[in-house]
Amino acid sequence: MVGELAWFIGNILPYVTLAVFFIVLVYNFLKWVVMPRPLVWSLFPAKRSTFDILLTIGKRIFTLPGPRKVDKTIWVLAWLFHIGLIVSLLLHAKYVLMPTFPAEYYLGSIAGVAAAIGTVGFIIRRIDIAKDKVDSTFADYFALILLIVTLSLGAYLRLGGVVEHETMWAWVQGVLTLNPVQPPEHPLFLIHILLAQIYMMYLPFKTLVHPIAILFGQKIILDERHIYPR
Amino acid sequence: MAKRESVGKTEKVIEVPKWERVFDDFRALSDETLRLEEPKKEKFLETMSKFLTKQNWPFLLPYKLTLEACTHCGTCAEACSVYIGSGKKKIYSPVYRSDMLRKIYKKHFTLSGKLFGSLVGAKDPSEEDINALAEAVWRCTICRRCAMACPFGLDNGLITREARKIFADIGIAPDELKDKGVENHLKFGSAPKIPYEGLMNILEFLKEEIEEEKGVEVETPVDKKGAKYLVMNNAGDYLAFTETVQGIVEIMNYVNADWTLNSPNTGVFDVVNYGLFYSDEDFVRVMKAHVETINKLEPEYVVVGECGHAYDALAHFMKDLIPPEERPFKVISFMELVDGWIREGKLKLDKEKNPEPVTFHDSCKWGRTGGIYEEPRRILKAACKDFREMHPNREWNHCCGGGSGFAIMHKDDFFKFRMETYGRVKAEQLRQTGAKIVATICANCKAQFRELVEYWKLDMRYAGVSELVANALVY
Repeated sequence: MVGELAWFIGNILPYVTLAVFFIVLVYNFLKWVVMPRPLVWSLFPAKRSTFDILLTIGKRIFTLPGPRKVDKTIWVLAWLFHIGLIVSLLLHAKYVLMPTFPAEYYLGSIAGVAAAIGTVGFIIRRIDIAKDKVDSTFADYFALILLIVTLSLGAYLRLGGVVEHETMWAWVQGVLTLNPVQPPEHPLFLIHILLAQIYMMYLPFKTLVHPIAILFGQKIILDERHIYPR
Repeated sequence: MAKRESVGKTEKVIEVPKWERVFDDFRALSDETLRLEEPKKEKFLETMSKFLTKQNWPFLLPYKLTLEACTHCGTCAEACSVYIGSGKKKIYSPVYRSDMLRKIYKKHFTLSGKLFGSLVGAKDPSEEDINALAEAVWRCTICRRCAMACPFGLDNGLITREARKIFADIGIAPDELKDKGVENHLKFGSAPKIPYEGLMNILEFLKEEIEEEKGVEVETPVDKKGAKYLVMNNAGDYLAFTETVQGIVEIMNYVNADWTLNSPNTGVFDVVNYGLFYSDEDFVRVMKAHVETINKLEPEYVVVGECGHAYDALAHFMKDLIPPEERPFKVISFMELVDGWIREGKLKLDKEKNPEPVTFHDSCKWGRTGGIYEEPRRILKAACKDFREMHPNREWNHCCGGGSGFAIMHKDDFFKFRMETYGRVKAEQLRQTGAKIVATICANCKAQFRELVEYWKLDMRYAGVSELVANALVY
């Protein structure tokens, strides 16, 4: 029974997850691409070329100048959260290409802790800003709670040495090369990958709308207006 | 309702109408406009639905994007002048205001809202909610400082304007902007209904003032066809801020420009476009009237005087909304013109004539949405002995609280709202400069500063940049 459940969570659900993730993500992206925007109400200083706009969007994604200017707390939390999460995910993805290297253990742990601090910080902040800024919805909390549980389990699995890296590596490779092998059957590992997949399926519906919005929203803000030479 | 107010050692009774409160302690819309008892939810939803289709093509993308992608991070609140000025009251945070509309959007126009309701922040509005929203959208000047701060580039200012559009479509818009604004403008040529004779008298008076003060003769050409520059002013400047028009007249004469003003005889001579604040339909009606008037006079350049939103409308929006062949003229701001003339050496200025410390207020519509940041600074540095920056400045400057037409909205105790929220932040900014003059190039800002200086007992006065330049001219 556990073996069948593990097979489903480890070798069938990932394809459903990836399909949902990419289809909804592409849909959400294309939805904005095809929407007409014949009128520009951008803000100055606006940019004069597409290259400048893209360059500035890139800079803004990594430096978050708005939050840095007006709200340092969210700026710090956003850094911890996003960098921690991105590094953690990249280390997971690396399983496809190569086995682990020694420094990865520490890097992964630091990244996980940073992402966890960011996530907990975001949860506390949401509770705090309900007093004087805006109420968060269940949907806003849901992604964060799902993530903190997933991260905590991941950290425990890693620090506690519950699952052997080689076994996990073989499983991830199997999934990605369409040659599935039996995944590790430790219940905590199965819960970890189940939650991670629910999170991934949920992302494009709600959370991943905002990185897409960065591309379109920031472009709108930065777009060239009709500037006379001066 | 009567309320007692202390004035010095005496106490006087001031009559202040107190309409029923529906959102906060203030009212911007009269009972006649808001029609509290009238059910309006169905009409509201119907109109909202219309504005979520391609019929609302100019703003559809940023509108829907902002409705859908906001994560409620609250960054915008810390950028918002009214929120900060109010002592950080939740109801004034930009995201709270947008959420009032977003909840309705989710409930009625998204699948997730229909399926999961309040779990995803969806809410079916009551009639009270609709009335509250109608008032809430008149607590934001759409200065768009929040959009500068949003990490995703979402625009709560735009959401406010979209909500105003919905209300305007069902007949709810401040009469100062709609009936006494746009409708008067289109019927009489200017929002304050200045007749031709009245305008001529004002110009004659200004001419005499310049001749008396400076000992030079000036011309005030009106309705001259084919002039190089057609200068269009905010009609409010002719009535309340005549020093600005006087400065413009003097400068145009000083450089011996081929120029003209225009009068109601040619159509609309008031450069304002209040439609920008609440309705695309009225916005375009006024814009078309401007284009028609300008085309009659066939100038090479239309020069926008000291009016911020007019520059946004004519220099930027018009390019997207009126085909090029229908507007065979260029649009330029008076600041760009003067800045160029100073750099070309056509204007000789003596800084000693403006010895007092001067600071500059970046109007939202000239700065964030207009792009005119450096020209007035270069001008003031050339015309004033002691120019000081206000902090923050340029794209991060705080709105004074007069924007979006607020400066001409006085009903009930809305004036107090302007002074106690936006005004509080701006007064503190002004104090910190130590300046004796705050220069600005927007009539709404001047109207707000006129009240602000008095209300917060600031030891300074306001002035138009043109006025200061004219004062520094060397003959």
